[in-house]
Amino acid sequence: MSVASSPVRSRTGLVRAVLGRAGGYLAVFAVALTITFLLPRALPGGPLRTLGGADVADLDPAVRAQVAAAYGLDQPLPVQFWRYLRDLARLDLGESFNGGRPVAEAIADALPWTLLLVGTSVLLTAAIGVALGVIAGLRRGRGKGNLLLAGVLLLDAAPAFWVGMLAILFFGVHLGALPTFGATTVGHTGLAAVGDVATHLVLPVGVLVVAGIGQFFLVTRFSVASALHAPHVEHAHARGIPHRRVVARHLLRPALLPVHTQLMIELGWLVGGALVVETVFAYPGLGRLTFDAIQGRDYPTMQATFLTLVVTVLVMNALADLTYPLLDPRTRTRGAA
Amino acid sequence: MLTITDLTITYPNGHQATRDVNLTIAPGEILALAGETGSGKSTIAKALLGLLPPGSTATGLARLDELDLTGRSPRDWEGIRGSRIGVVPQGAMTGLNPVRRISDQLIESVRVHTHAARRPAAARALDLLRQVRLPANTADVFPHQLSGGQRQRVAIALALAGDPQLLVADEPTTGLDLVTQNHILDLLAELRTSQQVGMLLISHDLPALRGIADRVAVMYSGTLVESGPAAEPAHHPYTRALLAAMPSLRPDVPWVSIPGAVPDRSTSGGGCAFADRCPWAAESCHLQRPLPVPVKSAVVACHHPSDDRQLAFPTAATPGRQAVDKIDAEARPVVRLGGVGHVYRSRHRRTTALAGLDLQVHAGQIVGVVGESGSGKSTLGQILLGLLRPTTGRVEVAGADLTRLRGRQLRGVRHRLGFVAQDPYGALHPAMTVADLVAEPLRIAGTPRHLHPARISRALDRAGLPTDLTGKRPDQLSGGQRQRVAIARALAGEPVLLIADEATSMLDVSTRAGIATTLRHLADGIGLAVLFITHDLGEAVQNCDQIVVLHEGVPVQQGSPGEVIARPNPGYPADLVAAARRHAGPSAVPSG
Amino acid sequence: MRAGLLAGRIGAVLLTALAVGAVAGPWLLSTDGRERLAAPYAPPSADRWLGADDLGRDLFAQLVIGARGSLGIALLVALAATTIAALVGGLAGLAPPWAAGIVMRVVDLVLALPFLPLLILAAAFLGPTLGVRAAVVAALVWAGPARLIRAGVLAAWSRGHLQAARAMGASAWYLLLRHASPVVAPLLVPVFVRAAMTAIVLDASLAFLGLGDPTSPSWGTMIHWASVRGAMLTDAWLWWALPPGLAIVLTVTALALVGVATEDRLNPTLRQAR
Repeated sequence: MSVASSPVRSRTGLVRAVLGRAGGYLAVFAVALTITFLLPRALPGGPLRTLGGADVADLDPAVRAQVAAAYGLDQPLPVQFWRYLRDLARLDLGESFNGGRPVAEAIADALPWTLLLVGTSVLLTAAIGVALGVIAGLRRGRGKGNLLLAGVLLLDAAPAFWVGMLAILFFGVHLGALPTFGATTVGHTGLAAVGDVATHLVLPVGVLVVAGIGQFFLVTRFSVASALHAPHVEHAHARGIPHRRVVARHLLRPALLPVHTQLMIELGWLVGGALVVETVFAYPGLGRLTFDAIQGRDYPTMQATFLTLVVTVLVMNALADLTYPLLDPRTRTRGAA
Repeated sequence: MLTITDLTITYPNGHQATRDVNLTIAPGEILALAGETGSGKSTIAKALLGLLPPGSTATGLARLDELDLTGRSPRDWEGIRGSRIGVVPQGAMTGLNPVRRISDQLIESVRVHTHAARRPAAARALDLLRQVRLPANTADVFPHQLSGGQRQRVAIALALAGDPQLLVADEPTTGLDLVTQNHILDLLAELRTSQQVGMLLISHDLPALRGIADRVAVMYSGTLVESGPAAEPAHHPYTRALLAAMPSLRPDVPWVSIPGAVPDRSTSGGGCAFADRCPWAAESCHLQRPLPVPVKSAVVACHHPSDDRQLAFPTAATPGRQAVDKIDAEARPVVRLGGVGHVYRSRHRRTTALAGLDLQVHAGQIVGVVGESGSGKSTLGQILLGLLRPTTGRVEVAGADLTRLRGRQLRGVRHRLGFVAQDPYGALHPAMTVADLVAEPLRIAGTPRHLHPARISRALDRAGLPTDLTGKRPDQLSGGQRQRVAIARALAGEPVLLIADEATSMLDVSTRAGIATTLRHLADGIGLAVLFITHDLGEAVQNCDQIVVLHEGVPVQQGSPGEVIARPNPGYPADLVAAARRHAGPSAVPSG
Repeated sequence: MRAGLLAGRIGAVLLTALAVGAVAGPWLLSTDGRERLAAPYAPPSADRWLGADDLGRDLFAQLVIGARGSLGIALLVALAATTIAALVGGLAGLAPPWAAGIVMRVVDLVLALPFLPLLILAAAFLGPTLGVRAAVVAALVWAGPARLIRAGVLAAWSRGHLQAARAMGASAWYLLLRHASPVVAPLLVPVFVRAAMTAIVLDASLAFLGLGDPTSPSWGTMIHWASVRGAMLTDAWLWWALPPGLAIVLTVTALALVGVATEDRLNPTLRQAR
């Protein structure tokens, strides 16, 4: 009848669990690699349908063979795959069919903008969505809570591109208050440049927040409402802990755990999901790069952007898995008794 | 100190949960409040803490010294909950925040109630842990790292944090294993002395409460039927029946069941609520509500109180006598286990659930498997049903070697077994009628349809149920009736072996002996072999011909009930017998 | 509970109205929305409730006919995705752990795929026909629900009445049909609703980007043309870009109301709390 001298943190168990998960992620990554490799080769017309805007099919067969050889497409598939992996390991993503610019460079240019855009909006979305979700969850089934729910559902139902168009119309065209195009204006330096970037962010971030709030709101509301009558919450009330404290310390902390997972997954997802908003606002991010690559049949860029999108999602999932035990002690340690 | 006068509580739906209840608790006194499900005992606790559902009304008076507890709005409990009245949650429920350290939770409670600074509050938290006999390093862990008993100690420490004059504990030991239950009860008794705190202990386990309480009060159907000193014998027939319904560790002491069910209060007229089930009831009992009258130093609400009149309740059939002669030692046993063991393998650990079990169950015999949760007793049930393949040993059931069978053949063996699970609420599909439920094994086994009606009514009859229940759904039945439906269903396929896995543990005390009697009649009458899995040594003693005690998967003792009680093996069996004495029913046949 | 029920009813009524409008509406119209009947960019009038587009075609007719395209793909995708999710999730719930593990890895993979870019890719290379779009969206959105349904099957498996039937010697099929599916079936409602919502928004986004099917009008293509033909620069956005957007908002909200109402009903902790 005594507590074991110290809780045994089964480190080997944790390490094994992490390795097991890592194995799963690696497997998914490997499959994703294969798919991105095969994708352009499987599409109608093959990877060499257009080149610099011209249809390859119109070229002289000899020239076509020459071009194919230049891109290594005359080799058997396994060799192509090996080369693809080898180049990837060197971060050599090939050159764009449109203009010959190294793809790695294009991605390196676009990714920071997307991360800035998506990072800002997910943090804002989470903050607002969770706050509203907590309010609605605590008042579930009552007038105010229902009103809030209806409002958020309505907001969430609006497609991002449509909200974006309306936002441009009001804030850009009618009010003229905010930039509606791109990420920067040429000619700013120092602090002015930072302010310039920030004003360019306002509208796209606003649209992404409006479009994304629903998920956080619903997850939070559901989780909070479910926790309202958890035994430890009711017992804290019975013990005379003041209501506000019960809500803040006993109800919300365990109830908000699922939101953390949601946050991470959303972050990964939105990198691809921002495509529409980036297109609407001509924001020079990864989404627009992807869209342009598909429109221009630019295979190397397409391959690279898809791979980047998949990897971001996987990295965020892995981060969610790894950081979860930091928040929930139950997944961190095993029972000592 | 605490005075409850004519307390009547009505729930928002009009249901009267308690009627004219009178109770007092003096400083440092322990009052045990006993009763079965729906007796209204938990409602009293909720009322004292202002936790009744919104819309409930309370008339009468509840005062803690100068403090009125009845007329308060739900927001007006600051300075009472936790500071004047501490609360200990139900033993099996975890009232602790899963994601905060014990120290945080203790310090929070201390600071909320005493407004102390952080440092003195931390010192006080360690002090509290000492008072509940937990080592100081408990403060650094999270609830999931503690055992059930340790968690309950922490909950008691939390209840003491505001230095209350009264502690309210609703079923504080339910769900804990027997040895731990006794430790918690001892701790409460000790705290009463050291902290001079009055206690209201609420439980269905009357014998255990009598051991530590100063006074005992018993509720039935919302009314207080008796209250008096714990040392004095009981006077009300219900109290006496409730005591006799706890199985004794002596096989020769009868085990009582109370026939019938708690009446629906909305239809009960002016008479005594217990009259319909009372063997002493006279005409006046049905017409006139008995008022509490003093009998010796107790107060009893009964027209015919007595502490020595013979109780004419049905008692469980005594095991052994008939059955033992009947068993043909030459006959092939229904169950033959040889060296059966099972190891659960997960990715990270191996857990031995069962090791080296040899067991035989003959036709007409009831074999009890006794152990606490985690002892491997349910694993055994799964193995006998062929739902789990043991890692070692031989399993022969109804002449079939289960370890060699698969698929359809294995399911075929199951058609010849009956299984009754612990939870009569979950095991019966809520949308099916009794007839459908009982017929389910017949449908599964593909028994021709024209045989169903006869089989159903025979099974219902054998399980002790009237056939007019066939159209009812589970939620229209009482807990005891549901469990009998589960038994009838287990019997429908005319099994050779019945496995009852904790079949009585979720039922009210007063109905348990009745279920056991039914099993005995089945063993004697149709020669059914019964494996009776239970955590309650007393039930096994009362009901079984042979007992196997399991501890952490290992069979630590086998023998007849008399042997196990009289000569328990040293170690766990001895501890178990000692612990069980406190919870068991009367140890002697009542005189008269 | 009552408010949840009300929300569910409102959603259901709205959906029914939209569906009836989409099916019956086009027959009641005097034009198919392709004829040039009015002046370009004509404002709304008694005859043309929503005015006309840049070619003088009736916008109200386009809105009504577009409902078919938008609701059609939602229905198609929701049916397909729910079926796949039920099959995969159900089988993964019953399969031995190693097999379920493999299936769940596939689910992880699908969940890691960028939906919209893949949809754009497919539309660009395979052509934006209804079949291609529905197939691609369905192939992408089944994965999350499959995980949900597997969890539902596992939860159903632990129910007392299912375990009791198992102890009676019931076969896997009997358990699935008689005991597991009644528990899991209600989960399919929110799954269906979610898939429909995702399909509408994804498909509208695709159309907005100019990759929709030019031969079959939808709300998304209307917004696309409004954007491309400069409606946003004049007052024409009011009757050209606003109504189809509002129609999408209305449809998705109606679906969400039904989804939230069923989810609240399904959560046992909420139900018990009344």
